Amino acid sequence: MFLEKLFSKGKKENEVIGDITKHIKLLCTACGFFKTALETDNPNLMRKVMDIERVGDAIRRDIISRIYEGAFLPYLRPDLCKFVEIVDSIFDLLEDTGYKYLDLKLPEQLRGECIQVAFLNRRICEMLLITFESMLKGEDLREKILAIRIYEKKIDDIKFDLIRDARKIEITNFWEGEILSQFLSCLTSISDVIEDASDHLQVIHVSMK
Amino acid sequence: MKVKEFMTTNIESIDHKRSVYHAVERMVNRRIRSLLVRFPGNEREYGVITARDVVFKVLAKGIDPKKIDVSKIASKPIVSIDQNMDFKEVAKIMDESDIARAFVYDQDRIIGLVALMDVMSASIIARARGEYVS
Repeated sequence: MFLEKLFSKGKKENEVIGDITKHIKLLCTACGFFKTALETDNPNLMRKVMDIERVGDAIRRDIISRIYEGAFLPYLRPDLCKFVEIVDSIFDLLEDTGYKYLDLKLPEQLRGECIQVAFLNRRICEMLLITFESMLKGEDLREKILAIRIYEKKIDDIKFDLIRDARKIEITNFWEGEILSQFLSCLTSISDVIEDASDHLQVIHVSMK
Repeated sequence: MKVKEFMTTNIESIDHKRSVYHAVERMVNRRIRSLLVRFPGNEREYGVITARDVVFKVLAKGIDPKKIDVSKIASKPIVSIDQNMDFKEVAKIMDESDIARAFVYDQDRIIGLVALMDVMSASIIARARGEYVS
């Protein structure tokens, strides 16, 4: 294991790595629930995304505490913490998007594109997990990070189509339009934050060399 | 990796009677390289017009794009593929048919488009994912 070679990988380090993996896997689950909730228009399932966010919060607190209790070499701690915080901000964004969805009636002509974005969000999360695990093995991350960028670009393309299609929808009430706009904006910016997280993994990877 | 995971779902189309100039405007405005051409009659009767068609068949020959209909330069029939097809199979079809894009069907309805760039991107993603993702 890459980290094992660089640090005396003790119990605390193992726990932190295990928890970071769990944190990202939970994010994949949340993205999966979000996509299914959107597909089936299921508000109960969407509320589960909020429950998962709280579990993610607890895991983040544990990871940060363990790191500052002495896991890993001091120079690595801020970067690891930052990565965990970025992943946590994805949970927050997903939760916000979920709340906005519960607050609006999504026009059916936009649902297909929104589901496609949610599907790609799930895929990009899986790729983040793969990238993290590859980093632990000391593998080259270039290909994985490129895959994340490709996903992100794909979502960006759909975003422009979504905005164009949303403009065609007649809005009768200011808040209806405002919440729809916020929902689309949140949904399509999740991948930006995942890309930031992957860029940060690359920073950690380089700093370990 | 299946086609439906990575196809472009927003397809721009144009009526066969519109001028090539109109098609050029649409492509430049939307920053796309092709348009699906709708012909009357059969639901599945489609053609495709690409930037390559416009440049080689109209502009290079000095023809006024306002005076020629899309139907005159559109390629027909289009190559269609199934949404559950693997990207490797699509690459093979594109190679054999010498085409840069294929349209994805769900029964009788066109639901997406796969271009060369999509095939390349999908190959990168499939490599990066390895056997990990189900």
